[in-house]
Order: sequence, then C-alpha cells, then structure tokens
Amino acid sequence: MSDARLKWLLLPAGLFVLAVYAWPTLGLFRNAFNETGPTGAMVETWSLKTTAEVLADSFTFELTLNSLWLSLSATLLALALSYPVALFLFRTNSRFRGLLAVVAIMPMLISGVVRVFGWLAILGDRGLVNSLAQSFGLITAPMKLVFNWTGVTIGLAESIMPYMILALLAGFGQLDRTLEEASRSLGATPMRTFLRVTLPLSLPALALAAGLGFVLSMSAYITPKLLGGGRVFVLATEIFEQATTNTNWPVASVLAIYTLVLLLLLLAASNLAARGLKR
Amino acid sequence: MPTRRLVLQAGLATVAAPALVRAQSSLSGTITLMSYAGIFQDNYTKAVVEPFQQAHPGVKVNYVPGGTSAQMVGSARAQKADPQVDVTIMDVTTSSIGNSEGLFEKLTPAEFPVLNELLPEARAAGGDYGPAVTFDHLVLVYDAALQPPLAKLADLWRPDLKGLLAVSAPPNIQGLALTAMVEKMEGGDHRKSIDAAIRKLKALAPSVSTFEPNPDGYSLILNGVVKVATGWNARSQLYADQTGGKIAALLPPEGSVFQINTINLTAGSKNRAAAAAFVNYALSQPAQKAFTERMFYAPTNGKAQIDPKAIARTAAAPESRARMIDLDWNEVLKVRDQWNNRWRREVVAAR
Repeated sequence: MSDARLKWLLLPAGLFVLAVYAWPTLGLFRNAFNETGPTGAMVETWSLKTTAEVLADSFTFELTLNSLWLSLSATLLALALSYPVALFLFRTNSRFRGLLAVVAIMPMLISGVVRVFGWLAILGDRGLVNSLAQSFGLITAPMKLVFNWTGVTIGLAESIMPYMILALLAGFGQLDRTLEEASRSLGATPMRTFLRVTLPLSLPALALAAGLGFVLSMSAYITPKLLGGGRVFVLATEIFEQATTNTNWPVASVLAIYTLVLLLLLLAASNLAARGLKR
Repeated sequence: MPTRRLVLQAGLATVAAPALVRAQSSLSGTITLMSYAGIFQDNYTKAVVEPFQQAHPGVKVNYVPGGTSAQMVGSARAQKADPQVDVTIMDVTTSSIGNSEGLFEKLTPAEFPVLNELLPEARAAGGDYGPAVTFDHLVLVYDAALQPPLAKLADLWRPDLKGLLAVSAPPNIQGLALTAMVEKMEGGDHRKSIDAAIRKLKALAPSVSTFEPNPDGYSLILNGVVKVATGWNARSQLYADQTGGKIAALLPPEGSVFQINTINLTAGSKNRAAAAAFVNYALSQPAQKAFTERMFYAPTNGKAQIDPKAIARTAAAPESRARMIDLDWNEVLKVRDQWNNRWRREVVAAR
C-alpha cells in the first residue's frame, strides 16, 4: 500500500478524536475567557481576568506542588515494585509466563472505583492491615492509612503499576543477557553485575515507565478523591470541584488548560530524558 | 391541634384538587423532570409524579437523575440553546445561579395561583423565579447504639468520638451550614465573622475521619466506619425508618440551618404548558402533603394539612423552627470561596 493510501487508515480514529477530544477542548478554551460573577453566575465575555486570578492565587501553586509531589512519590513507589516484577517476567522461562504477565496487569481490568473501595477495606481503621497489626500486638490504636496522603500514594502506586510493568517490558529491548553472562564470567558478583550491567541497560525502560506513571498520576482523579478523605488537594480534584460543586466553569477551564500544558511539558521532558539515556 | 373546620377544609381540598386538575387537563406529551437520584427519586416519583400523571393521563413525566445540584445547573447551562429538561428541582444556591443566567423562567401568581398559598420564606427563596418546593435542615446523624447518645453540637468534640466523625467540608453546603452553626454555638454571628467557628473546627479536625464522606455519611455510619456524620434531616429520617432505627438524627439545640430546594421552570421548555402544570401541582397542597408524609421534607405550601406525626419529624415542627439560624444562602454564596479557603488552609490542613 502506498503511503498516501496508508494515511486513510488514520481517518476513523482521527474523526473520533476530533469529535470527542478536540471539540470539547475548544469549548474548554472558550470557557477559560469567561468570568464568574459574585454569586457564581457565569458571565460570557472575552477576558483574561480568570486566568490572571488563577495564576496569581497561591493555592494554584500549592496544588501544583501537591500534584507533583504525589506523582513523584507514587511513581517512585510503583517503580520500586514494578521493576523486579517486570525483570522477572522478562527473564523467566516458566511455562506460566503468559499467565503471570496477565496477573501482573490484571488490576487494569477492574474499575478504579472498585479498586479504591478495596483499599478502603484493607487500609481502613478496622481494615485488614490494622486488624492484623492489632491482633499481633504491634499497635494499640489504629494507624491512619487512608483519608490522607499515605492512602492516596499507596492506592495511586498500585493503580499505575500495570502500566509501568508494560512500559518496562517494552523498554527492556536493550537488555542483552550475553552482557550479563560476560560480566559474571569475568568474576563480578551477581549484585555487581546487576548494578554495573543490568541496571544501566534498563535505564531507558525505567525512564519510559517513570514518565508514563508520572503523567498518569498527575491526571489521576478517583484515587485522590476517594482515598484522600477531603485532605488531599491536587489539580485534578480541584478542577472537578470547581466545575461540579462550585459551578465555576471559567476557573475549572483555566486550571484544566494549565494542567494540560504542565503535562505536555513533563511528557516532552521525559521523552528527552529517555532519548538521552539511550545514547 | 387541628380544628374540625380545618380538617374539613383540608379533606375537601384533598378530594377536590385532583378533580380540579383533571378538569383542566387537555395537556399531552412528555416533560422531563431533573432532580436528585436514589431515595429522593423513588419517593418523589411515588408521592408527586405518579399522582400528577394520573390527573393528566396525556402527560408522561420523565424523571432524569441529575447528580448534584451544581451538576444540574451545569446541564441546564450546557443545554441553554436547546433545553432537554423542562423542570428542575435543586438546591437554592445553584438555582439562583441559573436564575441570574436566564436559564429559568420567572413565575407570576397570575399564571401560578398556588404561589399565593406558599409560606413567605418559600416565595422569598426564589424571588420572582421558581420558589421553594421543599425545606430540609442540617442534622447530626449518629449510630443509634452510641452511648451516651449525641445530645448537642458540642458533643462532636467528645474525646470518645475521635476518629469516628464524617464531616462534609465546604464547598459542600453541609460544610457551609456547619460553619454558621458552630459560629453561633461559639456565641458569634456568621454574618460578621467566622473566626470563632474556624478556631473551634480546627480543634475538631484531628477527630474527623473523612471530610468527604463517600458515598455519604449515612452509609459510613451503617457500615460502621464512623459513628457520627453531618447529614440532611429528611434522608436521615427515612434511613432511620428503613434500617429499623439503626441511625438517629439530632437537630442540635445550638441551632441548625435550612436547606432549600426550589422548583424551576426551564426557559424555552418545549412543552411549557405541561411543565407549568407540573410546577403548579408540585407546589399544591396534595403534593406537598404526600411528599412530606412520605419523606419528611418540610412543606413550603402553608395551607397543606399534614399529619402532625410527620410534621414533628420535619423542620416545620415549632420546636425545630425556633432553633433555626437566620441564614441567607444568597449572602453565603458571596463568601463561599472565602469560607472554603479558610477551611482548606486552617481546618482541613490541621492534623
């Protein structure tokens, strides 16, 4: 098939994206220029007042830092847990390898809301973790593991793990087993081989997975909303709150565009980093 | 005590109303009513929508659950050019936004004579626009097995309740109402300052399990996650009945705040005549009586004759009315962002 004809393959997806993404995003841009009156009514106009107010509000800065911090901690936690799993799946000769890979990405098959309620049952005051710790006499009062940053970080890390495992598996292409064997045969300990050969070779995969996990965490809404107990304020929850509780569409739109720009910048940075590491 | 004459009048009104409505019914088509989902929808359908449809056999009322009030006014805003909803029942804080954006119609007593039967505060709630259709108030909902039982607002600070509270923080209107209540408890007036309330609520924060109860405070109590939650009276009364008294509702002696739902006729409704008839009916004595007796929202039609047992469980009971704090939601709307920010920075952040 010629290149010109090949392009037609993109038509259905292109039209779909245009209808469900580009068009509403344009609406978002339009709303960002509107203003909100003192009692919450939207005033249709073309002004930058809302944008100026949002950018000047110190709370926007706080939200940004919160989002970045949450994404960073969830990504690092998820990376620490996903890397060994992905390495195992990449290397194992087990005949159950396919099945194990499915198990690893299984959380993707469950609704985010259900997963979060699962975490509430595990991490709640009378949940699995606290009950076990109390029955072993490790603690007397329940530990606060949900409705705060701890719960959100744990829940979020779990929800991005499957994506990160897939990204790691995809990025392990350069991981050549013969190089590790050479290192071992030249007398390096397994630990030294891992640190000097395996880990450096998997850095591009780690960068790819971390970038993906970070972006997913930045836009995560359900986990901070349901596990945060109203104590975790991030950009995604604030956009929702402004749009659906305060009926303040202009502020919600400005914040949404702000987050979009931030994510694009982060994606570009992560791509640059991954490319740099490959060289 | 209702006098014999009053009972007779009420009886006549109840008997006559559907007949009167039927007599004028040449209406047809479908109208869409948007309001809350769940038990509100179930009970409103039984108490108001079905009797209306019986009186107007040609009209079909399509009840669409619209999420929260803010989401409903959002839908109305998005459909401004081509309205899909004819009548909306939602909280006054959001319907006032819709009114000022021209999403809803003004109602005149000439066309809606039932407006003359409404309590003055019900008319005032909507101004020239859709008036109040239900009154409710903030209560403290608690596990009925709690010992000692909850007796006052100040009990929230009891050490034995640490970690066992679910409090809806602003911008949820429950949080705004609670702020005014705590300010009054502390001897202040929310119209002047909320400093005392914020100080007191800050001390409460470590006792709060969640500031955003999901799916709601009633469920968290029933599931044993918390012992006390902020909630609305009508729903609490109904849940108390439905669970065989597992939860109880307290109207704090320190005072409470009315929550007002207004009924709003969409500007540009495609079946205006039927929609207007529905608004008339929803505000009428029989509809108000049926819904109050079914779900314990206080009536807004002052002439509706309601079973005293049901009235006693609503905000319309004299001892309840006496405890109500004078709060103008339109004024609170203007300071909502400010209160919201103080909660976030000074209350929720306190650990």
